[in-house]
Amino acid sequence: MESKGIVKSNYDFGKLFTATKEFIDHYNRKHPQLKERLNANHRATAELITRLYAKQLNRTISLGQNIKDTLPGFKTFNPSLASCKGCTVRTIINHKERLKAAGFIIKEIHRGKSGIELWINPTVFKTKKLSTISNNIKTDIQTIKEVCDLEVKNFHPLVHEQQELKNNNNTVNKLTTPKKGVRLPAHKSTDNLVRGTSQEQYKNIRESRNSASKKQLQITKSTHAKEADSAFLLQLVRDFWSYTRLLLYPNTMLSKPEETEILNNIWASVYRKFKVHGSKKDWESYQEILYKRIDMVARWLDRNPNRWVPPPHLYFHPENKKNDFRKTHNWFLKQELLKREIRNQILIQKTESEWQDHKKGEGKHKNKSRLQLFRIQQKRLAQYRDERLLSQYEKSLHKMVNM
Amino acid sequence: MIHPNPDIALSKCIIYFNDGNSRTFYSFDRKHKRSKPNQALGIRRLEKMLLQHFKGTWETAIIYENKTNGKELAKFKNGIRVF
Repeated sequence: MESKGIVKSNYDFGKLFTATKEFIDHYNRKHPQLKERLNANHRATAELITRLYAKQLNRTISLGQNIKDTLPGFKTFNPSLASCKGCTVRTIINHKERLKAAGFIIKEIHRGKSGIELWINPTVFKTKKLSTISNNIKTDIQTIKEVCDLEVKNFHPLVHEQQELKNNNNTVNKLTTPKKGVRLPAHKSTDNLVRGTSQEQYKNIRESRNSASKKQLQITKSTHAKEADSAFLLQLVRDFWSYTRLLLYPNTMLSKPEETEILNNIWASVYRKFKVHGSKKDWESYQEILYKRIDMVARWLDRNPNRWVPPPHLYFHPENKKNDFRKTHNWFLKQELLKREIRNQILIQKTESEWQDHKKGEGKHKNKSRLQLFRIQQKRLAQYRDERLLSQYEKSLHKMVNM
Repeated sequence: MIHPNPDIALSKCIIYFNDGNSRTFYSFDRKHKRSKPNQALGIRRLEKMLLQHFKGTWETAIIYENKTNGKELAKFKNGIRVF
């Protein structure tokens, strides 16, 4: 319905911004001193004013008012500008002062209740007005639509606008019900009638797999087991001490506190406070070894009356590095190795004598072949599970066969 | 020098000397000023005092817990520990 000759005039935001920028840049170039220049903040305020002013102008144009001759002022409020820019009113006033001094704002009128009116430098606004004669109706309609306030594209503000962040997790003013099993807040007067957890009763018939009572039972069982375990371990300490006392300190008399101290020392040094985890069997075997070590020390003491061991509180003291019980460990290992060596030697001597008897046609195995004898001996020695013994046996076998 | 404090000592030793006198000694249970008190250490020190410092001068010596109705911890007769 619209004729082709309608004059469409509106202010292009982009061009206005470049004009604003040019104006401020030009001003800054003129003023070399930093204090006199307009900083980025002033620039932002200027851009904000330009944007809002252009919007206002476009709206008036779309309403059909003629603003060709004289541009109306930019009607606004200081607080609204401040909230738009995210700063205080005072800052806006200060910035306006600076912009006025720079010549960006020509005039300002305070209208009390109805806010303020600003006139911007005509170099920014006057020349940039777009006027086109439309040839295409469709594009015209589009442009008209764009100009209309409701349909205008929502431009991103050049200045950061502070927005209230939406908290999606917040339950305030939400109609969603709280989750199952979540306790309702006590301060909510509406929900105060419901107490405890919101449960679906019909689903709660059967006892759950890990019900509280069962758990408690398990806990008591486990604690019992632990207690039994610790009792067993502490009994090991007591047994060890009584055995040691019998063998190494038969004549010493000790009071109760002294004995407790010794037991504590044994627990700390000999058993390492039971920090090493092991089964009952492991501990029992360790206890056997300890008894053997004590036996060894007792035998060593018996061999010579001049030999001595320190008093028990020192012998088992964890910080005694000089002559404590722990040193018997290496001694014990050495002795065990020696014992094993001797046992091996005896076994091999036995096999050698058997070979010699077999050669002479005597002894238990005189009716057996050489292979049979070898098998018998190998089977016997394999029972000891000692590789060293087997290698020694092989050597001796070579010697015996080649003789 | 720090002396044993009868109020905080954990054990005490009563010595009956050969000359008829008797005296109470209190144990010194700490290894150092801020250490945890160790009663066994105090008893050992008292024993050492009896058997080395006062050797041959006393007939009977008894070590008690330092509290009312404290038990006997050790008893010595003529330089030999009885229990």
